[in-house]
Order: sequence, then structure tokens, then C-alpha cells
Amino acid sequence: MSQYFDFAVIGSGVAGLRYALDVAKHGSVAVITKAEPHESNTNYAQGGVGSVLSPSDSVESHMHDTIVAGAYLCDEETVRVVCTEGPDRIRELMAMGASFDHGEDGNLHLTREGGHSHHRIAHVADMTGREIVRVLLKAVVNDPNISVFDHHFAIDLLTYQDCSDTICLGVDTFNTETLEVTTKFTIYYAQKSHYLHSITFTFLNFQAIRFISKVTLLASGGAGHIYPTTTNPLIATGDGMAMAYRAQAVISNMEFVQFHPTALADEGLPIKPTKSRENAFLISEAVRGAGGILYNLGMERFMPLYDERAELAPRDVVARSIDDQLKKRNEKYVLLDISHRASEKILSHFPNIAAECLKYGLDITRQPIPVVPAAHYMCGGVHARLHGETNIQGLYVAGEVACTGLHGANRLASNSIVEALVFARRAVQPSIDHMKSSKHDPSTSNLWGKPVVTSSLGSDAMDKILTMTRTIRKELQSIMWDYVGIVRSTTRLEFAEQKIGELEAKWEEYLFQQGWEPTMVGLEACEMRNLFCCAELVISSALSRHESRGLHYTVDFPNLEESKRLPTIIFPCSSVKSTWSSRQLHKQLMC
Amino acid sequence: MASNLCRLFSSSALKLTFSHTRSDQLTRSLSNSVNRLICSATQQPHPLEENPKQSHKQRLRKRISKTKARKKIKKTTNDYDDNGNFVNKATGEVGGPRGPEPTRFGDWEKNGRCCDF
Repeated sequence: MSQYFDFAVIGSGVAGLRYALDVAKHGSVAVITKAEPHESNTNYAQGGVGSVLSPSDSVESHMHDTIVAGAYLCDEETVRVVCTEGPDRIRELMAMGASFDHGEDGNLHLTREGGHSHHRIAHVADMTGREIVRVLLKAVVNDPNISVFDHHFAIDLLTYQDCSDTICLGVDTFNTETLEVTTKFTIYYAQKSHYLHSITFTFLNFQAIRFISKVTLLASGGAGHIYPTTTNPLIATGDGMAMAYRAQAVISNMEFVQFHPTALADEGLPIKPTKSRENAFLISEAVRGAGGILYNLGMERFMPLYDERAELAPRDVVARSIDDQLKKRNEKYVLLDISHRASEKILSHFPNIAAECLKYGLDITRQPIPVVPAAHYMCGGVHARLHGETNIQGLYVAGEVACTGLHGANRLASNSIVEALVFARRAVQPSIDHMKSSKHDPSTSNLWGKPVVTSSLGSDAMDKILTMTRTIRKELQSIMWDYVGIVRSTTRLEFAEQKIGELEAKWEEYLFQQGWEPTMVGLEACEMRNLFCCAELVISSALSRHESRGLHYTVDFPNLEESKRLPTIIFPCSSVKSTWSSRQLHKQLMC
Repeated sequence: MASNLCRLFSSSALKLTFSHTRSDQLTRSLSNSVNRLICSATQQPHPLEENPKQSHKQRLRKRISKTKARKKIKKTTNDYDDNGNFVNKATGEVGGPRGPEPTRFGDWEKNGRCCDF
């Protein structure tokens, strides 16, 4: 079943929604999102948006702060563009109804986050992301030209080669909701032994929908779930980065993964949560600021060994120290102790943590809190030029999935939403121009083989595949954390590369053994192949950087090298690898 | 006052044991009954707390006046503007989060939980 649109938007975070609203004035738009429309990384961003909104502030200052935080790996032109255009994008949001906090004088109340030299963060109490998504979603829902397809999982981009150019004409998706509607036919038959036997067939009745669009915007967000502990919601499995890579897009800077040093470690709680937490509960630096002390499980205070500022060292130093301790001692978490402070003070300043920990039997006024670093943001992604263009014609990117050059080797706080807004806006004009110069050809839809719509895998086989996929996913996350974490080394990275290659082969073999066909799709399986793809991109990028810069720290090259101050670029190539995860679904049968 | 009563009774109970040569059991049971008296005396409802003799309405009024008194104290230390929005005296922010500045340590903090950094 094919749907024809002028514009297809993959992802419903701030980038996707903002772009959809602008292009909707020029044509029909499909917003494709894999869960509920409001479910995105943006929704969880509660902090604020940073921009030059005060007369005493300047674009140069914002640029300087961004470049310093990015360890001088940022693209200067991109930084200039975002810092200059950011303020207008925020004012547009305000005009749309986002109620940013004001001061008594009537001006925007701007706060100052780590790394900023001026007060420039506009916020809505402490749920900025949610408010922005609310405002944008309301406008999107009311726009007659925009159709939202929620619970539609994007499988692969539809591309073809025209001489040396790759052109994108849409995306294949499937509806994950109707997948749950399975029809079970149970046939009873009696055998000689007079026992009643049964065979159950599970028909996967789901709809695969092919979107043919003149222009596609990829705004599918991050890939936090390649690591076991992450702040990202479950939807962040790097789908967009993987799809773009399979479609021969250029990927860059994947080695720069931002971690928060202290997230609540479920393994250390007295009463383990019954179901694993979807996104990590981050313990703020304020707890350390209020006197919290970090101990390893041997109750040794380790921070003074790494930095004279001890617990108040910069976050990346703390993250590295904790990671080092965990690897050296082969442990799962460290302890953050604030119980030596007065309990009324603790309860009045940190009621949220106290309540959350108490739920699992931990009293923070008496016991230390188990913490472990959590993956938070991907600074790298699909390589984008100044208007969100990629090397694939008709494909644009914006948001966390893109690598625009703004963040460099480390993202400055509150720069991600403003980057998404700016690039979503900048991609609009080129998209419209491209759209006007293309025509829909009804036969386009037949250029590619279709994903398998129904299949009759026994429910037994499906269960086995599901269980195996979940186990493999945990194994992948564990390898990534152990070998591609915060403190890296060439040996560990190479080991990870080998292990993950073997894991991928083992998983695919199992799948096909159980009867899975190459053009078959399923939510867990498709997410798994995307996770493998992203993990491999992170590892190969990390291996190629022979210096330590920003978020990428390796003990084999522990210093900054001026000559290596270049982005890491992964060019597409007709890969030697022929795994299921590394080829587009519609190309599976061609080899 | 009740604690003074306690001390009075216990000291006199002690005197009882020293000055008289009655059997231990008797003195013990006497001091026990005295203790029980003291205990029940201390369990008398505090004059400011709920007195079952008071009517329900009277108790309700007392509760309301107490909360109003509390709110008045709150209102004078942290202002509210004309629209009833909370105004942070230190930062001038209207309608923002109460308590310490969320970004005071660089990350965005609410009640100890960090949202971004």
C-alpha cells in the first residue's frame, strides 16, 4: 500500500514538527513517528533553550562558549548560523504560544547553565521540552495539510542511483499497532494415543505502508539505547542514523557520546525495580555541590586521586573517574553519599531523589546512593551541510540525528533544541525548491521490493526470536558499556568490534534458522539491526581518532593533537560486509 | 508542666521505698499505680490540640486560621504579583520554580534530579 506526499518527515520531536509546520504551506506533509506523537527525546528535555536574548549578551560570546565546549572541533560557520538565528526561532515559538518564563520587568527570564558565560537560557519553569512539543503538536494537529502517522516504524529509506548521485524518494514503514492484532488459529486433532493435540498459527497481520515523497526529512533523534543505562526513552534506537547509513549517506563524529556521570543505578537498590527502567534517573550535580561524596564499593573516596577539585571537578572528569574505577574494580556502580548532611536539609533540597529511592527501599539520609554514568546525547550523526542537506538528494536532516558541526566534540548545555529549530527552519527553502522541481511518477512505488506483509511463522518460533533478540540486545549494550564507554583504548575498541561482529552474525543466523526471511520486518528485529549499525559506527569512528578530544578519551592517545583537529567522516562504500543489518531491506534479494 | 509532675511523683515514690519498710511488692505496685496516673495525666489532650469537647466547626475554624497564618508568613517572604503568580525575590523570575536556582551547579536540577547538563 503506497501513500503519496510532497514531504515526508520521520520523527516528531522539535525538529520534525517545526519543519512540518513550515513546509505544510507548500504541499502535503506526512509526519511518521514510531510511537505516540509526543514521545521524543525533546519531551524529556526539561532544561531550556540557549540563545542570545539579552542586550548585554552577544553572538560572539555564545559562539565562543560553544566552540570551547566543543573542544575546538566545531564548524565555525555552523556555530555562527545557529547563534545568529537562534533568537528568532525562539521568538517564533513564543509567538506560537510557548509560555517562557518572564521576569518582573516583563523580559524573558534567562538563566545560566554550565559552560555559558552569560545568562541566556530561556525556559518554561522546568519543562521546556514538553511545552515546546505541546505548542508544536497542537499546531500540527490543526494543520489540514499535515497527516500524522503514529506507531509507524520506518524500516528503510527508498533510494536509487542516478549515475553518481543517490536520490531518496521516500520511506518504507509498518504499523506497529496492528502487529499486536494477531490471529491465532488453533487446530485440534486427535492422535492414536487419544490425546488432543494442537498447532497454533500466528498470522502477523500488519500493514506495511510505503511513503513516496518528493522530499524527506530525517529527524528521528538519538541512539542512547546502544548503552545499558541511558536517559533516552525507549524509542531512541538510532533508527535514522542506521537507515541513512544503509542508504549510503555520509556519517560523522559518531565517537562523541555524551554521558552524565551520576544516574541512579538500579543494580544497587535494595529492592530491585520489577521492570527495568526505561530512562535513567539522573542525580544532579547539586547533590555533589551540597556535599555529596563519591565512594567505590570498597568505601574508598576516589575523586581526590583524579582531580584536586574532587567531587566538584567538571562533569566529564567525574564521569571518566567513575568509569575508570568501575573498570579497574570490575564493578557495576559507585556510591554517592550525602547521609552525613542533616536529614531535613536533604529532604527539603532533594525530595524527588528521596522519594524515588525510598520506593526501592533506600533511605538517602542514612545510606549512600548507587550511581553509574548514563548515555545522554549523540553529538555525531548524519553529516549535514548548512541547510540540512545530506549527500543524498531529496534527503534532509535536523536535530540529534544530524551532525551539523555545531557541537563538535562535546555539546554545550541547552544547545540541542536551538540547533534543531534552526536547522529545521533552514531545510525548508531548499526542500520547497527541490519539491517544485520533482514530479510524482505512479510507477515509482514499484522500483523496490516490498517488505513482507504477512508471514506464518509459528508462534513458537516468534517467541524464540523475541527472547533471543532481547538477550542479544542486552549483550550488545553490555559490550558497548564495557569496551566502548567513557574511557577507551585501542585494544578494547578492537575487541568490541570483533565481539559485536560475532554477535551480529550469531543473531542473524538464529533468525534465519527460525524461518525469518530477509524481507521480513518486526519491531524488535528492526530496532536490533539499527542498534548494531549504530554501535559499529561508534566503534569505527572511535578507532579512527588517534587523539583524545572532548567526549572521546582514549588511554592510548590521551592528549589533544592539533593536527588531528578534524571531524571523523565515514564515507559510504559498497561494503564487503553483507549482513542483514547493513543492507536496505529492499536490496536483500539482490546479491 | 506534665514532666514536672512526673518528677514529683517519681521522687515521692522513691521516698516511699526508703522511708517505709513495707514489702517490695507493695511499693512496686504502688509506684506502678502512681506511674500509671502520671502516664494518663500526660496523655490528657494538650490544651492547644483537639479537644473532643470542642465542636467540629470550632476545630475546623482553628485549622483554617492556622493555615491562613502560615500562608501569611509565606506571602511576606516570597511575593506574589497581581495575577497571583509566584515571584522569586532573588532572581525576579515570575512563575518559576521555587527553592534554590536550578542551574546553580551548571546542570538543570529539580529536587535533586537532573534533566540536562
